[in-house]
Amino acid sequence: MKKFRLYYEEYNRGPFQLLWGHFARQHTALFGLAGIGILLAMALITLVLIPHDPYFQDPEFLLLPPSWQADGMVKYPLGTDDLGRDLISRLMRGSSYTFGLAIFAVLGALAGGLLLGALSGMSKGFKSSIFNHLLDLALTIPSLLLAIVIVAVLGPGLTNTIWAIMLALLPQFVHGVRNAIQDQLKQDYVVAYRLDGANDWQILFSVILPNVWEQLILLSTMALSTAILDIAALGFLGLGAQSPTAEWGSMIADSLDSIYLAPWTVALPGLLIFIAVLSVNLVGDGLRVAMKKRREN
Amino acid sequence: MMLRYLARRAFLLAFVLVALTVFSFSLNFMFPGDLLTNVTGLRDIPSEQRQELSQAMGLDHGYLRQYIDYTRRIVAGEWGLSFSSQQPVLAEVRTVLPATIELASYALILSLILGIPSGIIAAVRKEKWLDNAISGFALVGYSVPIFWWALLLIMIFSLQLGWLPTSGRIGVLYEVPHHTGFMLLDIWLSDLPYKHAAFRDALIHLTLPTLVLATYPTTVMMRFVRESMLEVLDKNYIKTARAKGLNRAQVLYKHGLRNALLPVTRQIGLQFSTLITLAMLTEVVFSWPGIGQWLIDGIYQRNFTAIQAGVLVISTLVIVVNISTEVLHTLFNPLARKF
Amino acid sequence: MMKRSLLPVAFLALASGCTPAPDAATLNGLVYCTEGSPESFNPQLVTSGTTIDAISQQLYDRLLDIDPNNGNLLPALATNWQISDDGLTYVFNLRDDVEFHQTEYFSPTRKLSASDIEFTFNRILDIHHPFHQTATEYPYFDSVEWRELVKTVKAVTHSQVVFQLNKPDSSFLSTLATDFAAILSAEYGEMLQKNQELPQLDTLPIGTGPFKFREYKKDVLIRYYRNGNYWRKTGNLDQLVIDIVPDNTKRLAKLLTHECDVAPIPRLAELSLLAKRKDFEVDQQTSLNVGYWAFNTQKAPFNNVKVRQALAYAVNKQSILQAVYFGQAEEANSVLPPNSWGYNPDGQHSSFDLVKAKQLLDEAGYPNGFSLDIWAMPVQRLYNPNALKMAELLQADLAKIGVSANIVSFEWNTFRRKLRAGEHDSVLIGWTADNADPDNFLRPLLSCASAISGSNRTNWCDSQYDQLIADAVLTADVTKRRQLYFLAQDYVAEQVPLIPIAHSRRFQVKSSKVTGMQINPYGGISFTAAGKTR
Repeated sequence: MKKFRLYYEEYNRGPFQLLWGHFARQHTALFGLAGIGILLAMALITLVLIPHDPYFQDPEFLLLPPSWQADGMVKYPLGTDDLGRDLISRLMRGSSYTFGLAIFAVLGALAGGLLLGALSGMSKGFKSSIFNHLLDLALTIPSLLLAIVIVAVLGPGLTNTIWAIMLALLPQFVHGVRNAIQDQLKQDYVVAYRLDGANDWQILFSVILPNVWEQLILLSTMALSTAILDIAALGFLGLGAQSPTAEWGSMIADSLDSIYLAPWTVALPGLLIFIAVLSVNLVGDGLRVAMKKRREN
Repeated sequence: MMLRYLARRAFLLAFVLVALTVFSFSLNFMFPGDLLTNVTGLRDIPSEQRQELSQAMGLDHGYLRQYIDYTRRIVAGEWGLSFSSQQPVLAEVRTVLPATIELASYALILSLILGIPSGIIAAVRKEKWLDNAISGFALVGYSVPIFWWALLLIMIFSLQLGWLPTSGRIGVLYEVPHHTGFMLLDIWLSDLPYKHAAFRDALIHLTLPTLVLATYPTTVMMRFVRESMLEVLDKNYIKTARAKGLNRAQVLYKHGLRNALLPVTRQIGLQFSTLITLAMLTEVVFSWPGIGQWLIDGIYQRNFTAIQAGVLVISTLVIVVNISTEVLHTLFNPLARKF
Repeated sequence: MMKRSLLPVAFLALASGCTPAPDAATLNGLVYCTEGSPESFNPQLVTSGTTIDAISQQLYDRLLDIDPNNGNLLPALATNWQISDDGLTYVFNLRDDVEFHQTEYFSPTRKLSASDIEFTFNRILDIHHPFHQTATEYPYFDSVEWRELVKTVKAVTHSQVVFQLNKPDSSFLSTLATDFAAILSAEYGEMLQKNQELPQLDTLPIGTGPFKFREYKKDVLIRYYRNGNYWRKTGNLDQLVIDIVPDNTKRLAKLLTHECDVAPIPRLAELSLLAKRKDFEVDQQTSLNVGYWAFNTQKAPFNNVKVRQALAYAVNKQSILQAVYFGQAEEANSVLPPNSWGYNPDGQHSSFDLVKAKQLLDEAGYPNGFSLDIWAMPVQRLYNPNALKMAELLQADLAKIGVSANIVSFEWNTFRRKLRAGEHDSVLIGWTADNADPDNFLRPLLSCASAISGSNRTNWCDSQYDQLIADAVLTADVTKRRQLYFLAQDYVAEQVPLIPIAHSRRFQVKSSKVTGMQINPYGGISFTAAGKTR
């Protein structure tokens, strides 16, 4: 039914709707979003519901091929690994490690970045200048290198890895938040609000933050793809998740022994990492394009 | 103005280097175990030597004096012994570092050769199929976990086809004398009877690691050049030039390229640090005897002196390269001078 | 053009002090890929099979050799020998045409003589020997109680040497034929003494073997050149490179791409893969080895025999054989493998029985289980190709009787250091025999003396057991010896200081181009007669 309008009224779509409109027009970005959704659902659901126990060893069926091959079994759709553990269950559980923990690390870094970024964004002077220079420098060091350095000091392990990645992602968040806030501080409406008598904190919470959250999402997607790659890389190097943890990176390292007999045990976890990172990057690129288009129109 | 800028950068560099040595020094205390062992790298020090060694290392003084002694030793090249091999750490770093730099440089060169032209092409053919293909490839290369990519290439080119070797810098039967630590250079400088064969063998060994390591920086370069080019092509002076009657190629060559490629110099510095990091993963997969593999072995073996040295060397390298490319970039590109 | 010609000049200036270019080296060489770096270049100081494979047969000769086909003793540096009737005096006559290696760091002036034999063995025996103190231990000789056994070693004439024993020992000649009893150069020793470089004896080796030392890069490679003056017939190799590739997967990859010519592959899951290819040959050989799970019996709760028995019932060996050895091993019921003449096919052993395990645990006073550390060695060995995986399997097995296992691993050198210090609860490790004598399993693995010298990882010290194996070597009567070994094995099965898990078969994969290579079931691999066709 067509909406009946009595008066002509200027109809403006909200900024979010505009953004979504531009975003939804890109098919690849939608694919990415769907990918993230599926992975996120899997990361949560596998915590309670999973076909087999990912750590249960079935000595009867070692290195069973996927079920569509001649000697595969329906019971184990993607086959088993070299200890007879169900591969699909391990891959599913892996999503909560590699993908889930990456989200967790990004959220942690985001929180820390907001705090430090707000503090530095609202302050000026010599201290802030030194801080900024150091931050610029920290930004040029790749997060994986920072994470490796931190793990080198803390010692290998999944928990240490997550802390390390959180810390390693922190500079880019601080930098992003600070820049966004300082951009905002120059805007007329902020000045107007200040003239109304608002103090720094009121400005920060009621004016600035609502205006920067889109940028924060963009920042977070970029950080998320880094975090996934870093967790997997550290797991692969044996510095992160330790076997038998079903983390994708360490699963690849564990399965290297079977690369000749069962190449799929190496290929599949890698494929999942790739899909996860690709999905996140697609969404990130989509967002960037959508934001640019919205600005242009 | 310029001098002031340089002075500020020099100050920043000095400040960071001091911060790094302080960090590295404090690692002596943060690592578990015996302080004297952590400092010297000596295992099972006999108790009668402890006193003397402690004094020689300045451990009987306050922290400040200890730190000064520590930096003096770093500068003098006394980096202690590796926990696992009981060889001087500095000597080990000297043998592994050139291997990493060699690999990283070739990968960087390859990424520039591949990345810049395809970025330009993508920008010029914006949203045509060639651009889509290049951008798509860039996105894939940008998302692929490099260690997995390396394994895939090994499976195909080494194990299936048997074309390329899987590990090392050169076949072990070739005995190349050590001059510089850079394999190709060393072969060239040598007077081996099998020089040409050795050179070819070293190149074959380089192929896969270089290709793998170049993947990520190439895609970053493609995306970066494309964006930068698009931005420049959108500028008014390009439109003016077109309006003045220059054809596409002329505009592109005279105005577009120069302006679009200037920021690339800065990008090279940033890519270098990424390369050093990714080289660690590449080295592990391909058993490349570089500093990355050495550091990761060190971490795994809890070889504290090696961790300390590795972290110090890699961070210093990354930071020095970063600051110097930034300075170079500023010198060449007036637009980047913010002062 | 100008620029190009300038560069080398500039670099040549930098390159002063470089090593001289190899004189004889061409590319006619063979690459043997091994699992780990050698601990030393002197076989007297090591026990690890990897090190022995890399150094012993290539660099050195022994007085006697073992015939790889039947285990009999063959003359080597000794042309013949006589044993006195009381079994206490052994006289050896030596070859007179054996030369030591000529290398950059040593030029021999004389051929092998009896004084070299005296020098070699007195280093172990005589605490006043100039080189005795440069090593902290002589693990193999300590474990066979060599110092208690041998009274003197003396060069009687230029070509005759006499060993005096304190008591008769039927395994003495076998000991001399092991890869550990390599003959060193007394003249080289004198030179090092003069230059005060004593430790060099064990790091820059001089021997009489088919290859001589050229260079060693830790964790990378060892390079040998051919010994042109070798007294036996050799193959056509100019150099032998031992490429150190600790990772199983990478070693196989290198084999497939022909970067390695020969490689030991302890895990033969990929056997079918290689069997299909024409450019490889797989040699299968029975080997005298055992992989086992040892308990540190000095620590609670492993000092309780009931606990050890309970754990023995909880281990599902069959699933380990499948997952870790891919079926290429036999289940072990004793430390002695079935092909040893001391093995008792009807001996006692425990089988997989969780009910019994639980019951014994109750009796031992641990109805709710306990927690323990399983130390898994970080390296791959024939007897245990993947200790970490085995530990994961044991972890799952033990969980079923309420015992929670924690897997521990360190870098190999650290691992062995801590193991020696007895810091472990239990450890997954193994043993490869050096000669065919059952004593070579039972003494080094479980005797009191070896608990001190370090090859007994259980730290089990039992006088009744020690008596049995000591009695066995005092007699030359094989039937009687066998009886005593049966008793000793049954006693071990009852006391369970360790749980034997598997006897692995030994496989060696080589490129079809390699000829004349020989694997000895009692230890090392020999490239003496090896050659390579183009």
